[in-house]
Amino acid sequence: MIRNTFIKEITELARDGRVKIAFFIVLVLLGISTWISSRQYNSTNQQYAEAKNAERSIWNNQGEKNPHSAAHYGTYAFKPKYPLSLIDQGVDKYAGTSIFLEAHNRNEAQFSQAADQTGLARFGDLTPDFILLFIIPLLIVLLGYNAFTKEREMRTLVLIKSQGIAPWKLVLGKWTALFLPILVIMALVIVGAGIILSNLEDFGVFRWSNLGILFLVYICYYIVFVNLVLIVSSKSKKSSISLVLSLAIWIIACFVAPKAASNFAETKHPYPTRQEFAANILKDKQEGLDGHDPWNKQAKLLEQEVLREYNVDSLHQLPFNFDAYRMQKGEEHNAEVYFKHYKYLKSQFEGQTKVYVGLATLSPFLPTRFLSMGVANTDYSTHWDFSDAAEDYRIRMQAFLNNDFAKNSSHGDWSYKAEEATWKKLPAFEYSPPQLAEILSRNSSNIIVLVAWLLGSFSFLFITIKLR
Amino acid sequence: MITTDNLTKQYGETIVLNQLNLNIGANEIYCLLGANGAGKTTTINLLLGFIKPTSGSAFINGLCVSEEYIKTKQYLAYIPENLMLYPTLTAVENLKYFSGIGGKNLSKSQSEDFLNEAGLQKNAFNSRISTFSKGMRQKVGISIALAKDAKSLLLDEPTSGLDPKSSNEFGQLLHKLKDNGVSILMATHDLFRAKDTGTHIGIMKNGQLRQEYATKDISLPELEQAYLEAMNYKEFVS
Repeated sequence: MIRNTFIKEITELARDGRVKIAFFIVLVLLGISTWISSRQYNSTNQQYAEAKNAERSIWNNQGEKNPHSAAHYGTYAFKPKYPLSLIDQGVDKYAGTSIFLEAHNRNEAQFSQAADQTGLARFGDLTPDFILLFIIPLLIVLLGYNAFTKEREMRTLVLIKSQGIAPWKLVLGKWTALFLPILVIMALVIVGAGIILSNLEDFGVFRWSNLGILFLVYICYYIVFVNLVLIVSSKSKKSSISLVLSLAIWIIACFVAPKAASNFAETKHPYPTRQEFAANILKDKQEGLDGHDPWNKQAKLLEQEVLREYNVDSLHQLPFNFDAYRMQKGEEHNAEVYFKHYKYLKSQFEGQTKVYVGLATLSPFLPTRFLSMGVANTDYSTHWDFSDAAEDYRIRMQAFLNNDFAKNSSHGDWSYKAEEATWKKLPAFEYSPPQLAEILSRNSSNIIVLVAWLLGSFSFLFITIKLR
Repeated sequence: MITTDNLTKQYGETIVLNQLNLNIGANEIYCLLGANGAGKTTTINLLLGFIKPTSGSAFINGLCVSEEYIKTKQYLAYIPENLMLYPTLTAVENLKYFSGIGGKNLSKSQSEDFLNEAGLQKNAFNSRISTFSKGMRQKVGISIALAKDAKSLLLDEPTSGLDPKSSNEFGQLLHKLKDNGVSILMATHDLFRAKDTGTHIGIMKNGQLRQEYATKDISLPELEQAYLEAMNYKEFVS
């Protein structure tokens, strides 16, 4: 009975010209967007590789120089484009691709793709995630809104009921017929993306397991939509009403809820303005040790403490350059200040994330979006992770330079120049994004909400269906 | 076997079917006559379980329809007045689908045999229903009923809109089914068809069964007279 209903529904879909056109459009859009994304991915990663090598070469070949000059000269931490950004570009466009690492300051990531675009960028880009998150649910609505209402309107439901089919079997037949085309599209996308990624350069971090999880996430999302559309169709008397209600659900789930969640989260857990943030950091920095200012109150206290510790009368008697030592202590103080303020930013970010998860009960879009970005390594958490890794590297880099300065010169000797080979001893910045297990653990609440949507919508569909 | 026991349906204060008692055995065709609103279609809907009775019970093959909604469908076939099928599917595909959900998966040749038996011309077997006339659709409906091999058959004005030839063929088919032991209840306005096809005739008015006849005991003019009297059409009563 389920098979009969499935075959009938699929035959009807296959013979419906509107369905063929809709499928064709979705497949063409997916093809174009994947092609554009793969070009971007290739181009960005080529730039990444070139910039990374060029910057390291510049660092290594800066010649003899005072280590603190080298610290101010600085270097860059570059963020690569991860393979699954081919499918979901997430916040990559807005998050910046490189961080300038220098003495005393923790800098924000810069050179975001969005910053290079005009105001027209507000219209958004044609990316696979746009098709997957917005257009395919719309396709589900268009394919399924009249699944039951057409039976009422054509009066075929009377004959169906008289044949004695159990309602759940009819629903399952229709469900399978609506879901299968979506499954085929998604499988094509995933297999296509996998083949492209397997054949691209920088394939090293691509994992089929991540792609498989992405597939599952989207499949769950589509199942929820299939269920919702069938629930609406089964409860509506007319196809026109069912279409309007299904479209309303699509609009609320995919457009209204995310924007409302964003506004609500921002209101409840606001980020400080850039000026406030900078002013607060400056204030805390000034209250502590300034590595550059020997007359600073904290610097004087440090000086007395070190003299006492080494049991000497003068800084010149110390076995290292106190200026460099003080600068390192200043760096450590600055690092603590940055850590404190970025921790606050992160707590606000986590607060906002909790709001999103809470509101995800209103829309399956939200957990799917977060999971998709997470698995693709294009979410804010990955960006935070990269930013923290860059800061950690900056702190180690400053310690390396200050220690070299302190160890190889005496107090007041600012003419010291480290030999060129010194720079090569500093390990290059390397960053590995979080692994799948960590990503899933971090997104456990999103997984729970999506599964709840899945089970809830299935239960509601099958428990409440009545043909009588 | 089709049975009703004091079957009653009431909507608010309005009684649309009042204590109907029917007992249609195997090899019987019971024709229910009556004007619009007499309660014929309500009776069929109650026997199908599409609506619940206010009181009384309906039975198919001895099973109570209210209690065994799905199971009673195994023994029941139904052809509505205006049979609607899937316009983008062919006659064979429609037959295969409806038989399939009724629990009988037919091969293409089996489907064609049933369509042939129902009187559909062969060149229409693989044509889409959207090109069919009402009569052709009814024949597909009959083939669905034939394929189900049901013990009871409910027909709601099945010959309405059919040309005389098709209507006659339909009558012959019902006789064949009757002879095979099927119990048939047919709601109709067509006195001639009722007399020609039925074994028993009941006349309904305002939800009540007013008269019952064995067809062999009444002529067509007598039936017409009885119908007009029952309907209280005094100006037509001779």
